[in-house]
Amino acid sequence: MRGLLLRKLPSALLVLFAASVLVFGVLRLVPGDPAAVLAGPDAGPEVLAAVRARLGLDDPLPVQYLDWIGGLLTGDLGPSYVIGGETADLITDGLGATTELTLGALLFAVLIGGTLGILGATARRPWTRGAVRSLTTAALAVPPYVSGVLLVLLFAVLLGVLPPGGRVPLLTAPDLGVQYLLLPALCLALPSAAVLGRYLEDSLRRALAEDHVRTATAAGIAPRRILWRHALPHALPPVVTLLGIQTGHLLGGAVLVEAIFAWPGLGQLAEQALVRRDYPVVQDLLLLLVAVFVLVQLLSDLVHARLDPRIRWE
Amino acid sequence: MTSTLPAPAATGEKAARRPRHPYLTALATARGRTGLALVGLVVLAGLLAPLLAGHPPTDQSGLTLAPVGTPGHPLGTDDLGRDLLSRLLYGIRADLGIIAAAVPLGAALGCLLALAAAAHPAADTAVQRLFDLILAFPGLILALAVTAALGPGRLPVVLVIALAEIPVFGRLLRTGILAQRGREYVTAARVGGSSGRRILTRHVLPNAADPLVVQIAVSLTVAVFLEGAMSFLGVGVRPPEPTLGAVLSQSMPHLAQAPHFAAGPLVTVTALVLGLSLVAEALNREIRR
Amino acid sequence: MTELHPSTPTAPSRRTTLRAAAGGTLLLGLGLTGCRSAVAEAEAPATGAAGPKRGGTLTVAVNTDFTPALLFAQSGQSLQHRLIYNTLTRYDDRLEPRPELATSWEYAPDGRALTLKLRTGVVFHDGRPFTADDVVFAVKNLQNPVRAAQLRSTAAAVTGFEKRGDHELTLRLAHPVNNLFDLFEFMIITDRNSVEDAVAGKRLNGTGPFRLASWRPGTGLSLTRNEKYWQPDRPHLDGVELRVIPQADALVSSLRTGQSQLSYAVPGRNLSTVTAVPELSVTQYDTGGGASYLGVNTSVDPLGDKTVRQALAWAVDRERVLSQVLGGYGLASATPWPKSSPAFTEAGRTHYRHDPGKARELLRSAGHTRLDLPLLHVNLPGETALAEAVQYDLKQIGVHVTLEPTDAATAQKRLISQTMPALWAMGHSFSQVQPSTLAVSAYPFNAAKNTSRFRSETYSRTVREAWTSRATGAEANALRQRVTDTLLDEAFIIDLVIRGSVQVASKKLHGATLNKFSYLNLDDAYLAA
Repeated sequence: MRGLLLRKLPSALLVLFAASVLVFGVLRLVPGDPAAVLAGPDAGPEVLAAVRARLGLDDPLPVQYLDWIGGLLTGDLGPSYVIGGETADLITDGLGATTELTLGALLFAVLIGGTLGILGATARRPWTRGAVRSLTTAALAVPPYVSGVLLVLLFAVLLGVLPPGGRVPLLTAPDLGVQYLLLPALCLALPSAAVLGRYLEDSLRRALAEDHVRTATAAGIAPRRILWRHALPHALPPVVTLLGIQTGHLLGGAVLVEAIFAWPGLGQLAEQALVRRDYPVVQDLLLLLVAVFVLVQLLSDLVHARLDPRIRWE
Repeated sequence: MTSTLPAPAATGEKAARRPRHPYLTALATARGRTGLALVGLVVLAGLLAPLLAGHPPTDQSGLTLAPVGTPGHPLGTDDLGRDLLSRLLYGIRADLGIIAAAVPLGAALGCLLALAAAAHPAADTAVQRLFDLILAFPGLILALAVTAALGPGRLPVVLVIALAEIPVFGRLLRTGILAQRGREYVTAARVGGSSGRRILTRHVLPNAADPLVVQIAVSLTVAVFLEGAMSFLGVGVRPPEPTLGAVLSQSMPHLAQAPHFAAGPLVTVTALVLGLSLVAEALNREIRR
Repeated sequence: MTELHPSTPTAPSRRTTLRAAAGGTLLLGLGLTGCRSAVAEAEAPATGAAGPKRGGTLTVAVNTDFTPALLFAQSGQSLQHRLIYNTLTRYDDRLEPRPELATSWEYAPDGRALTLKLRTGVVFHDGRPFTADDVVFAVKNLQNPVRAAQLRSTAAAVTGFEKRGDHELTLRLAHPVNNLFDLFEFMIITDRNSVEDAVAGKRLNGTGPFRLASWRPGTGLSLTRNEKYWQPDRPHLDGVELRVIPQADALVSSLRTGQSQLSYAVPGRNLSTVTAVPELSVTQYDTGGGASYLGVNTSVDPLGDKTVRQALAWAVDRERVLSQVLGGYGLASATPWPKSSPAFTEAGRTHYRHDPGKARELLRSAGHTRLDLPLLHVNLPGETALAEAVQYDLKQIGVHVTLEPTDAATAQKRLISQTMPALWAMGHSFSQVQPSTLAVSAYPFNAAKNTSRFRSETYSRTVREAWTSRATGAEANALRQRVTDTLLDEAFIIDLVIRGSVQVASKKLHGATLNKFSYLNLDDAYLAA
C-alpha cells in the first residue's frame, strides 16, 4: 500500500500543477474581469483604470501567477476581489457546508441505492421489481432542479414540516441542522442513488451467477450469508469505482442544488465567484477541488485494490 | 435509432449473417421491445417535429400560458405565448441532436484513452491523471467557464457533455481491461503464445466492452440532464431555440399555476429514461447469458 | 433472472431492505421530532395588540449578497445601506429633500455654495460622535475613482469645505449643479477611520438604526437594534436578517412559507404566484428602480442612421413585454422617466407605440428591407425572456436578430468598454431622481462617452445646461423637455419599460419603505400580530 502511494504521489502533484496553470489561464481567457464588475455599469475609463490598478491586474500574467502560487505556498490566500472577506474564510465556510451536504447526500445515495440495488437483484415478486423500477426511473428522469422545486413545494409550502431553504450548521445546532439538510441532501442524492442502485443490481446479478456462489448455494449455505459474504464483496468493486465518480457528480450537482435550497456551499461560492470573476476565489477553490478529488481517487484506488485482488498495479 | 444507440445497432448489423448476435436477441425480448418502442416514439416525435407541430417553435402571441386543449394549441402556450407542443417537439429534436453528437464523441475519446492506457504503465498513469483532472472540475462550473469563453450555442453544450463522458467511459473500459487481463483464459492465451494485441482485441476487449453498452444508455440520460442544467444556469443553446431543458427551466416559475408547462418535457424525459434503461437491461441480461 | 439462479436468496434481502428503510425513517424522524422545529423557529413572534409594536426580527430575502467592495457604488443590492448608515437628506414622494443627518440647508445666492446644519447628538455604533468632518470625508471619499460611485461627477463638483464648529458646513461648488440632493440621498455617512475595513466587509460602523452583528458571505447579514439611535424609541424591531436566496423560485418559497417576510427581489414572472398567497401583499414603488432598454450601437452600419433606430423604437410592443415578461408590474414607456419624475410627460411616454407598419415604412425609407443584427443580453431568465420578446417583435419588421446570451460580468465589461454588438438589452438606473443626474451618472446616457458611441454637440450642450441650470418651474421643464426630445429623436437608447421596485411583504409587516436608491428604511417598521 505504501509503495502504491509513493508511486502515485509525483503524478498527483503534476496534476495539481497542470490544474493550476489551466485554471489560471482559462480564467484570464474568459472575457470580463473583476475590475469591470467592481467598477459597475456606469464607470468611466478613469474609474476602471483605478480599480484595475488597485487589484494589480496591470501586472504581467506570469507575475500574477507567481504571486498567486507564492501566496498558496506560504498559506496566505489573500482577500477576495469581489465577494469580500478573506478567500480562506470563504472557502472554509463553503467547504463545511458542502461537506455536510455531500455526506448527507452520499448517505442517502448509499441507503437508497443499496436498497434499490439489492431489492432489484433479489426480489422475486413482480410488483416489488416494478416498484424498484419505477422508483429508479423516477429518480433518474426528474432533474434535480425540478425535484428540488417539487420537494420544496411539497414539504415546505404544502405540508410546512421542513424549511424551504437555508442552512444551520449541523455542529452548532444538530436538531435544526438536520431539518435544513434533509431536502437538499435527498434532492442531490436521487440521481446518484438511481445510478448506484442500477449498478449494484447489475453487479449483484453477475456475482450471484458466478460459480462459487452457485457452489455455496448447492452446499446449503444460508442465502443471507451468501449475499453478504459471497455475492456483495464481489459485486462491490465496480460499485466503489462508480461511487468515486458519483462523489464527483455530487460536488458538481451541488451547484444546482445549493442554488435551489439557498445552501451557502462551495457550489454557490464557485458559481458566484466565476460569474463575478473573483479570480483568487475561483483559482483557490478549483485547485482545492482538484486536490480533494485526486485524494479521493487515490483512496478509491487503494480500497479498490484491497477489494479486488485481481487488479494489480504494474 | 442508430443515432441514439450506435453501439448495439452497429454491432448488430455486422453480426447479422452469423448466428443471431446476442444484442439482437436481447432487443427482441419483451423488455427490449418495450424499451425500443419508448425510445423510438420519442425519437420519432423529434424527427417528425416539422410535420407534427402546427406552429413554428419561436412564434409568439399575446396568448399567455393558455391551458391544455386550447384550440390550435393542444398543449397550451408558454409565458410568451409560444405553442408548447411545437416547443416540445423541436426541443426533443434539439436534444437528440446534442446527445447523439456528444455521447458518442465522449465515449469514443474515453475508449481511445483507455486503450492508450492499456499499452504502457506510464501512459496508464498519464491517462488516469487526465481523467482525474477532468472529473475534478464540477461539470457545471466547467460549463460556465466553457460557455463564457466560447459564447453561447450548441457547440459548448456538446463539448461539456462529451468532456464529462470521457472519464466515465475511459475508466469503465480501463477497469474492464484490467479485470479481464487477470482472468484465467487470458493467462492461458498468453501462455499459449498469443500476441498482446491479439489477446487484447480477441479476448479482453469483447468482454470488457459489455459494461460500455450499458453505460451508453445511462450516459444518454445524463446528457439530457446536463443539457437541462446548463439551460437552467442560462448557458444552454442559444435562445429562443427550445430544448427539453430550456422549456423545463422556463416552466419553473409557473409550476404552481400552470403545471402543464412542465408536464410535456417531464413526461418526455421520463419516457426516454425508462426506454433507455429497459434497453440497457435487456442487453445486459443477454450479454451475461 | 429466476431461471438463471433459481435459489436466489430473497428473504434476507427483504429484511435488509426493511432495515435500511427503517434507518432512513429513523433519520427523518430524528429531524422531525427533534426538540425544535426549523419551520417554527423561522416564524416571527406573534404579538397581541394593534399599532407599532416593539420587538421581533424581520427576515428580508435578497437574491444577491451584500458586496462590501461596492459599498459606495449603486449595486444590485443596497437594502442594508440605510439600515446600518444614514444619509444627509431624504427625498419625499415629490422629490423634495427632507432632513436626516442634515437638519437644514441654504444655497448661496449665486448657487455656488451650500451651507448645511448637521444634526447634533448623533453617535456612530462605536460611540464616536458624528461631526462635519464625517461629511467632508464622505464627499471626498466619493470623489475617489476606486469607490466607483455613480454620483462621482456631482461629488467632484464640490471643491471646497468650510467648517463652522462641528455641526455646520459649507460646501463650495466649482459650478452650480441641480442634483446635489441626489448626492445627499445617495451618499451614506460612514466612519472615516474604518473605511478600509468597511470595503473589506470586516467592520461596518455607521449611525443607522441597526448595527452589524455578523456577515456570513453567501448566507447574509445579521443586524441588531442600535440602542443609541438618534431617533427616540426607534427602531421598533430587535433585528433584521438579510437572507441570500439566489434562485427566484426558492425566494418565492421562502416568502410563501413565512421564512422571510419581505423582499424586493421577486422577478415579474414569479409575481403571479405571490399575488395568489393571502398572507402576502404586493406593493409597487412608482419611483422605479430602473428601466429596461434596447441599446443601439450607432457605429454599426446602418444603425448610424437615426431613421433605422427610430424604426426599431416603433417595432417593439412594450405593453406585451410588460405583461408577459414583467408580470404587469412596471410602466411601458418610450422615455426613461417614471411617473414621479419631474421630466415625465404622457406624450413622451407614448411617443413610440407598437406600430410595425410604421416601423417597416421607416426602414424602407432608409433603404432597407431586411437587416441581420446581433443582440446581447444577460443570461438570466427574466432578461432572456425580454430579449426573446424584442427579437420576435423586430423580426416582424424584417430585422432578424441573433441573441447573444452573456454572463453579467462580460456584459458589464462590454458595456463600459464600448464593445457592445449592434444591439443590446439591459437595464439602466438613475432616472428616478433629478432628471439631470441620468446623463451625468448613467453611462449609457453619458454625453461625452457612451456605449452607443453616440456623439452630438446638441446633446452634450443640452445635458450640460440641464445639469448646471438653476432654473425652476416652466424654464426647468423646458430644459428637461429638450433632453427628452433629443433622447427620443436620436433613439440611441430605446427605453422599453420602467421597472418599479416591487415589494412583496408579509401582511404582518408595516412601515417598510425604500429611498430613491433602494436603501431600505425600517425606522418605523414593525411586525404586527
